[in-house]
Amino acid sequence: MEDKRITVAHVQLSSCCGCLISLTDTYEKLLDVLNSVDLVYCQTLMDVREIPKADIILVEGAVCLDDHHAMEIAKEVREKGKIVVALGACAAVGGITRFSKGGQMSKPVQSSFSSLTEVVKCDLAIPGCPPSPELIVNVITAVIEGNTEYLKPFVRYGERKYEACGCDLIINAINKSLCMGCGVCAASCPTRAIEMVEGRPLVSSQLCIKCGVCSFQCPRIEV
Amino acid sequence: MTEVVNITPTTRHEGHAKLILEVDGEGIVSKAYYINTTPVRGFETMLVGRPAEFAPIAVMRICGICQTTHGIASCSAIEDAIGCEVPEDGLLLRELVGLGNRMHSHPLHHLLTLEDFIKPEEETLKIDTIKLIQRMRKVGQLIVDTVGGEGIHPPNIVIGGMRTNISERAKAKLYYALKQYEKDAYMMYEIYVELVERYLEEVGIPDLGSHDYPYIASHTTYGDRYAINWDGVVEIPPHRYYKDIKIAESTSVMIPLYEGVPAEGGPRARLVKFGNFRSGGSVMDINIARAKENLGAVYRAMEILDELDINGKTRTTPEYRDGFGIGVHEAPRATNTHFAEVGKDGRIKSYKIIAASTWNFPVVEKAIEGYPHQYAEVIMRAYDI
Amino acid sequence: MEPLGSYKSIISARATDSRILKRSQDGGIVSAVFIYGLENNILDGVIVADKEENFKPVPKVVTTPEEVLEAAGTKYTVCPNLSVLKSAIREYGCERIGVVGTPCQIISLRKVLKYPVGFRHLVNKVALLLGIFCMENFPYMGMKTIVEELCGVKLEDVVKMDIGKGKFWVYTRWGDAKSIKLKKTHPYEQISCHVCTDYTAELADISTGSVGSPDGWSTVLIRSEKGEEIINKMIEEGYLETKPVDEGKFGLGILKKLALTKKEKNMKEIEHRKELGLPVPPKVC
Ligand SMILES: Cc1cc2nc3c(=O)[nH]c(=O)nc-3n(C[C@H](O)[C@H](O)[C@H](O)COP(=O)(O)OP(=O)(O)OC[C@H]3O[C@@H](n4cnc5c(N)ncnc54)[C@H](O)[C@@H]3O)c2cc1C
Ligand code: SF4
Ligand code: SF4
Ligand code: SF4
Ligand code: SF4
Repeated sequence: MEDKRITVAHVQLSSCCGCLISLTDTYEKLLDVLNSVDLVYCQTLMDVREIPKADIILVEGAVCLDDHHAMEIAKEVREKGKIVVALGACAAVGGITRFSKGGQMSKPVQSSFSSLTEVVKCDLAIPGCPPSPELIVNVITAVIEGNTEYLKPFVRYGERKYEACGCDLIINAINKSLCMGCGVCAASCPTRAIEMVEGRPLVSSQLCIKCGVCSFQCPRIEV
Repeated sequence: MTEVVNITPTTRHEGHAKLILEVDGEGIVSKAYYINTTPVRGFETMLVGRPAEFAPIAVMRICGICQTTHGIASCSAIEDAIGCEVPEDGLLLRELVGLGNRMHSHPLHHLLTLEDFIKPEEETLKIDTIKLIQRMRKVGQLIVDTVGGEGIHPPNIVIGGMRTNISERAKAKLYYALKQYEKDAYMMYEIYVELVERYLEEVGIPDLGSHDYPYIASHTTYGDRYAINWDGVVEIPPHRYYKDIKIAESTSVMIPLYEGVPAEGGPRARLVKFGNFRSGGSVMDINIARAKENLGAVYRAMEILDELDINGKTRTTPEYRDGFGIGVHEAPRATNTHFAEVGKDGRIKSYKIIAASTWNFPVVEKAIEGYPHQYAEVIMRAYDI
Repeated sequence: MEPLGSYKSIISARATDSRILKRSQDGGIVSAVFIYGLENNILDGVIVADKEENFKPVPKVVTTPEEVLEAAGTKYTVCPNLSVLKSAIREYGCERIGVVGTPCQIISLRKVLKYPVGFRHLVNKVALLLGIFCMENFPYMGMKTIVEELCGVKLEDVVKMDIGKGKFWVYTRWGDAKSIKLKKTHPYEQISCHVCTDYTAELADISTGSVGSPDGWSTVLIRSEKGEEIINKMIEEGYLETKPVDEGKFGLGILKKLALTKKEKNMKEIEHRKELGLPVPPKVC
């Protein structure tokens, strides 16, 4: 039987692995998902030790600029992946790693983390900490089916190389007289940093981890 | 003649690591180094000066598999520091969310080790076991989703307790899910005992990976800061632990020691300390202990649902003052400890974490030593780090 | 331009249960559908806009008919119903939720269903989207100004507000009714409503509002199969009484006219913003 299935690799950079866990949280459907593609590399789940060429490389995590090895991997995924997907906030927009600043034993010099999108060109970038299982499956399916309409926002997130933050709601929705108070941003926030007060989001900068979800979900902000 | 065998990167575990093995003429490992090459994102330093509420949110992102345990340990360290009492129902929910996490993490771990024990021709068994694992994980994650607010990085674990109680509907749903889990956990246990026994028989080394280092554990299902003698706990830089400076400089983990030596934490440690599980046996016992803990978790979870008052208060408002506190939670992989120093302005002054799996890093090396090198990764995976 | 979006059928209807009619804004369609859904296991939780003292709106997840009734009636102010969307499927443990919302909230929810980035395990748990017609909304203080300063009624005395016959009405618990010309309320409208072109919640399963039907009745647009199924069952089992919608000037005529007016007026505002280089709401679904 000839196997012409799409090859997929999952590569972990500086991340918590939560994005991969999110994919496994498709539970009984995981096997279907994995059967519809050909998983060729995933260090957490299988024994392949070298990143092969693949149609889709899902990369989770930020790039530690102070770690030679991490920079090499970033370069390698770009060379080997036809489509490189920055999976999750850390890879797409920085996420929690925006707060990293080094000085910790046993690697006090590792202080600079950048999103993958800032280091190499990413074809798609998915915000969220982590993105939901359903969304990850939607994106993989859209890539397989060539559904470019669906992928548009993720292409744009791949192109933008700046950070995301709860402040995006303030700047792009409230300040622009676009926020009508639906409340979806508050529900979407994975840290519950957003409270609706007088029909507008109140973002607690104390609790925001810069995952980019709220502004992505806002129906009034172009993504 | 010593030969050096490098396994890089090691696979089927979280993070980046490699094994460097010095192997003698008979193929036996005389010295093992388990090197973690994951860059340090610096959660301890990132918290300094930030408001305490940020701590649990941030530290959960250390690990996407056992986020819950970091959230719990972080909150209880800060609560300890400021003398904040969590209401009873808050504590019950916290224990429950922690168990939910264990009930997903343990089966996930079975998924990672499965390939070590199953034979290529046993495809059906493999598929069936994966399905079983996913069914179990689904229940564990349902608990974390419902009680914690998100299955991955649950934000309802907050300083002072839990953000919210659960509804009657949710409670009933969890109960029925647990009933299913109970059945599945038994099945899983049987499968694992059989697979592991067969494996050891075929390998012909009944004590594969055994070591005589002590165990560290504080509780069976939650965590207890008073069960551990903190004066006996130190965490030293690898430079002091490894003679070879190259090795010391390449690893990113600090080395925790209990009473001056490495100590094993996790399922076996807990079952030995608080039960009558066999100590000192093959490292493969850990795989069995893990499967056994699924059962302990499901029974305790049911008990919690019985005890829980869904109209009860789950959170007290923290009042900040200067203080230092320790938070301990028994993570799937070992005892997870957070140390927090906070100020009366509600900010973190200093923060220190001995993450669960860190305990087992030096132990893995000890367990590998003295056995044929081809089993090194299988031994490492019994701990999963 | 199709002013009402796509729909399968349109009817005038009202609930038959007098308990609902006593509390509802118009024909009690929203409350009746939710109660029917909850009682027949089609829904196991619904998201509504309840209110606290002084007409302060509060989004709520509710699971019983009593709570649905408690939240009946229109709040002419922003109520972020979707902010509790996640609670419904988390601590409430709901599997089949119904959501009522203004057209913008329905659009927002459709976007979530298409791109559930931050909504783990939500998509297959949203069972029904009920949209309510909406011309514009008011910030809370805007509503307060209208009621207290323009109508001269203390908010704490208000039991119901309504818009009809070109007027904004306020009913007090003392049985009084005050009204002002709707035109006078315009300065207090939420400005972000002026770029909204959806009057009838075009992306809902069922949309309803008062315009196009006689007093005490509602106009109901049935848009999806899901919506059709539940409405048909309710009619069959006697939960709703219906009549054909008036095709004339005071029925479908006025509905289409208002929907079109909103579209045209707000399209102009959108164009104006574009000229200034300001962002406008993107097309979502
Ligand atoms: C701001 C606003 C403007 C409106 N403008 C028009 C209009 O121009 N023309 C027209 O025909 N109809 C309009 N309506 C709709 C109308 O007032 C009734 O809500 C609708 O007909 C439903 O009545 P009912 O008797 O079927 O519902 P009921 O059984 O009374 O239930 C109404 C439901 O709507 C929910 N609700 C109330 N206020 C809000 C709110 N602010 N946001 C979200 N949900 C809410 C309640 O929780 C309740 O469940 C408007 C409604 C709102 C909220
Ligand atoms: S985005 Fe969140 S879940 Fe994903 S790797 Fe980063 S911290 Fe983990
Ligand atoms: S406010 Fe919440 S959703 Fe928005 S970027 Fe911050 S953490 Fe993410
Ligand atoms: S999601 Fe809704 S409430 Fe939040 S900023 Fe956007 S429009 Fe406003
Ligand atoms: S006019 Fe539009 S934006 Fe304003 S509340 Fe109504 S539906 Fe929402």
